[in-house]
Parts: sequence; C-alpha cells; structure tokens
Amino acid sequence: MRALRRLAGAVPPSAPVALAIFLLFALVVPRFATAGNLENVLRIASILAIASCGQAIVLVLGGVEFSFGASAALSSVLAVSALPDVGPVGALAIGVATVAVIGTVNGWLVSRFDLPPFLVTLGALMIASGLAASLAGGLPIDAPPSAAFAWLARGRVAGIPVPIVAAVLVLFGTHVLLRHTRIGRIWCLVGANPVAARLSGLPTRSAVVAGYGTAGLLVGLAAAILTSRVASGQPGLAPNLAFETIAACAIGGIPLAGGQGRAANVLFGVAVIAMLNNAVVLLNLPVAYQQIAIAVVILAAVLLQRDGWPGGLWTRFGRKGARS
Amino acid sequence: MSPRLLVAPLAILVAAAAFGAAVPGFAAGGNLLNMASQMWVLALLAAGQTFALATRGFDISVGAVAALAGVAAAWAANTLGAVGLALGPVVGFACGMLNGLLIGTLGITPVIATLATLIGVRGIALLVTDDGQAVPLELDAASWVFSGGTALPPADWVALAAVVGAHLVLTRTMVGRRILMLGSNPDAVPLVGLDEARTLRHAYALCGCFAGLAGTLMMLRAGTGLPIEGSGMELQAIAAAVIGGTPLTGGMASVPGSAAGALLVQVLLTGLNTSGISPFVAQSAIGVVIIAAGLVAHGMHGFHLSPRRPRRRQP
Repeated sequence: MRALRRLAGAVPPSAPVALAIFLLFALVVPRFATAGNLENVLRIASILAIASCGQAIVLVLGGVEFSFGASAALSSVLAVSALPDVGPVGALAIGVATVAVIGTVNGWLVSRFDLPPFLVTLGALMIASGLAASLAGGLPIDAPPSAAFAWLARGRVAGIPVPIVAAVLVLFGTHVLLRHTRIGRIWCLVGANPVAARLSGLPTRSAVVAGYGTAGLLVGLAAAILTSRVASGQPGLAPNLAFETIAACAIGGIPLAGGQGRAANVLFGVAVIAMLNNAVVLLNLPVAYQQIAIAVVILAAVLLQRDGWPGGLWTRFGRKGARS
Repeated sequence: MSPRLLVAPLAILVAAAAFGAAVPGFAAGGNLLNMASQMWVLALLAAGQTFALATRGFDISVGAVAALAGVAAAWAANTLGAVGLALGPVVGFACGMLNGLLIGTLGITPVIATLATLIGVRGIALLVTDDGQAVPLELDAASWVFSGGTALPPADWVALAAVVGAHLVLTRTMVGRRILMLGSNPDAVPLVGLDEARTLRHAYALCGCFAGLAGTLMMLRAGTGLPIEGSGMELQAIAAAVIGGTPLTGGMASVPGSAAGALLVQVLLTGLNTSGISPFVAQSAIGVVIIAAGLVAHGMHGFHLSPRRPRRRQP
C-alpha cells in the first residue's frame, strides 16, 4: 500500500489524463497510432518539452518567464548570422549562450532588486524581440547549408531522432536536478516560502540567478534545435513559446504559486498538448478547434489538480505517499 | 500624489523635447495630434488593464478580446448600422466576466485563467470568421469618426471620455474603492464583509469592457475586423500601465498614469520611426523603459522591500 502511494505521489494526476487522451485518439482518430505519426508527434513535442523544463524551473522558483519566445528568436538570429564565421558548433554555442545570458540577467534583476518576474521578463521580451527584428531587418536570414548544423534537428542517434534524445536527457536531468540535488531543493524552498528560505541562511539570491540561468540554457537548446530545423535565423521563430510552455506546465500540474513541480508534470503536460495538436491536424479540423480545445484543457486541468474540490481525491492520496 | 506617477509625464516631456530637437517636423501640430489619436487603442487597453493590476492580477487576454470584439462590432454594424458598434464593448465585457469568474469564483491564478481565455478567444475569433477572414466594415459613417466635427475627431472624444470614465470609476465609486482595497490587502476584504470574488469579477469585467472598446476603435481605424489582430498588445498594455506608475503588486493604480504610459510608448514609437531608426529599436527601447520603471519604483520604495542580511560587524 505504501509503495502504491509513493507511486501515486510520483505520478502526477495529468498522467492518467494523458493516457486516456492517447487511448481515445488511438481509437477515434485515423492514422494516429501509427509508428510514423507517433514519431512525428514526439519530434515536435520534444522542443516544447525542453523549453517547458526551463519554464518549470522558473515556476518552481515562484516566478514566471515571458521572454522565452523573444530570446529564442534573438538566439536564432545571432546563431545564423555567426554561422559563416564560427562554424556550426560555435554558432549553436552562441545561440544557447544568448538565451542563457538573458535568463541570468532576468534572474539577477528579480533577485537583486526584488522586481516582479512578470515585469522583468516582459521588459526582456521587448528588448530581445526588438533586437532580433532590427538585426535581421525584419526578415529571416537564410543559413548556408551545413550538415553539422542540420544534424541537431534531422540527425539520428541509434535510430532515434536527435531532438527526442535531447528531450529525454533534459527531462531526466531536470528530474534529478529538482528532486535530488541541493540547488533543486533550494529552488523548491525559495518558491514555497522565500522569507523562510532566506532566514534559514540559504543562498537564495544566487539560487534564483542559477535557476533563471538554467532555464535560459534549456530554452537556448530548444531554440538551437528549432533554428536547425528551419535552417534560418527567424526574428519570429516561436512568438508564443512562453505561453505554450506555461500552458504545458499548467496542464501537467505545476502550480504557479511555486514550490512544487517535477519533470513528470512537464512530460505529461507536453504530451497532452502535442496529442491535441496532432489530432486536430489529422482530423483536418480548422486551427480554431485546436485553440479552443487547448483553452478548455488548461482550465479543466488546473481545476482538477488543485487541492479540494473536485480533484482533491487524487492529489490528497498522492501527497500522502510523497511525504511518507 | 505619488512621485512614481510623475515618471511617465516627465519621460514624455524629455522624449518629446529630444525628438523635437532632433527630428524636423516632429513637434508640428499635425504630428502631435496624429500621435494623440494613434495612442487611444493602447491607452484604452492600458486603462482597462489598470483595474486588473489594481487587484494584484493582470489580464493577458486583452489583445485577443479586442480582436474578437472588433470582428463582432464590424459584423453587427454591417447588419444593424452604427448601433451595432456597441456590440464590441459588450463582447469585451462578456470575455472579461469569464476571466472574472475563472479568477474570482473558481480561484484560478490570473496568468493561467487569462492565458486560457487568450487561446480560447483567439480560437473563437478564427472560428466565426472562417479561419481568419477579415470582416470589412460597410458603414458609410465610419470615416466621419476620424475626420468630422471639431478639432479632435469624434473617435478621440469617445476614447478620452472612456479614459476619464475609467478614472472616475476607480477613484469615485464603491466598485473602484473595493478593487483598490482588494489589491492593497486581500485578507481584509472578507473581514469587512465584502465579496472578494464579486470584486474580482468587477475588475476583470471592466478590463474586458475597455478591451472591447479598444477593439472597436482598432476596427474602425482599419476599416475591417481583423481576427488575428492585437497579438502582443496585451503585453504592451501592461507595459504602458506599469510605466505609468501602476505597480504589479496591486493596491495602487492610476488611470491617467496608464494613459500617460501609453502616450510615452507612442511618442517613442513615432519619434524613433520618424527619425529613421528602425521601428524595431523602439520596441527594445520600450523594454528598457519597462525595466527602468520597475527599478525607479524599487528605488522610491526604498530597500525595505528586499531585506538584506545585515552585514556582519568586523571584530
């Protein structure tokens, strides 16, 4: 019984929802449960999963990041314009570093001046998207063909597409980071009760900076894969990335109040969004249905997963297991 | 008057003086009037946003709501005549009420609730327009709104009246006082016997109503209801309100401040545009101003907001 409870604590309530949606679509939607389609779903979902892990870390810290889409666009433009000079590896490194630096600065502003994360990341969003658009002149920059540059999105490791391998590694890494490392536990404490964390002598400021920086690093990786996929520097690379990652985390069951969240939440939240998007495409429905469905799922997921009415049963059962 | 409210007007004066000196024709009467009438959409969105910010929340669905309201107003005006334009604010009110129900009654955090509304409303706008077809406005009187009458076009008068109305609602009515009270101390609201959920519904419904009005104005300017318009405006509106001196921490709010913030954004956009600098740089400049506004507010508030550990004394 205890082992069962522990398992229920580790498996977020979004898991059975994701499973139910999968089974439903496999039965109802033609061509959904084919190997080719599922690989496609995973390949698209992997980018969102990597970026959502970054958002999850920021949410655990009690913050929220709105600048991901803009900093990913800036990273894409910078990486592609540096490509001829520094080669594919250097270009991708520049791309990843761009987002990591923006994230670190955001974290510093949030922790040093106690500014609301929303305000800081909104400012960063506008700065980064303005810079990206003016550097690129408002138009995409085409990347010179480079096999090494394209490998990140199109290559395979042991038969598995690189983005999927990267997503699995990032999800696993985020899980370990949040559950089993000192810094991860500090993030949870800071998110749950910043005052108590500071009073108990934890280095909260550097932890916040490190958290936003790590989030930037992950989003930088997602941006690099996206850039490699579109093979160009796009000032409008993923304008809604921040919203999508917040939606994925919310559906997965990470509360915005901070202090809680696991990689498993991200995994199932992203899975739900990816399957919904894919089903709408396969059924040849207008995009409108996709958006309305996602809006309804977000609200349903948030309502079902909070304490008390009406989804409290699962949460309470799971929590007990997690604590024992 | 709080000194933070002076930041935006001073910045406007500085920016206007700088652009006036650097760009010939910037300070011409025509250009100034032009800027004034271009800022109303943003000013209305920011005025509405002020109510949500006052409750410590915010509404990121206003851009999508404005687009839907514009489409609805265009459709209604085509079938009913000028009276139909009123459907815009009504649609906005309904969307705002939905936000208020989600946040106040169901207790969902504002980010998630208004994000869901943003995505859902965008979907509805696409759905009712056959996947994003523009709805052209076939109203003869439409051009009169921007040209006819007095020194200021009628549309400007309506927008100005709406902003003044928002200011009066916030400062002179029970609804406004309750919204401010909720933002300054949410725990106290139930203690004095007020309904927290109801106050939140009021705040977000007002916010939505102004978004609907802004959407109608946007549609009148463009001459068509564009279902995909308004993306990114929600963040600009919040930025304008914050620059104008309404903090994200609630309890303090100023509609004239938000309007001044919107005007500053417009002055920066127009000024950088006419001086031949890429308009994209203007966006970055606004980002810098947002963070600077936050830092200025932090400096004015003193450092007690972030208690630092006392320095250890040297033995």
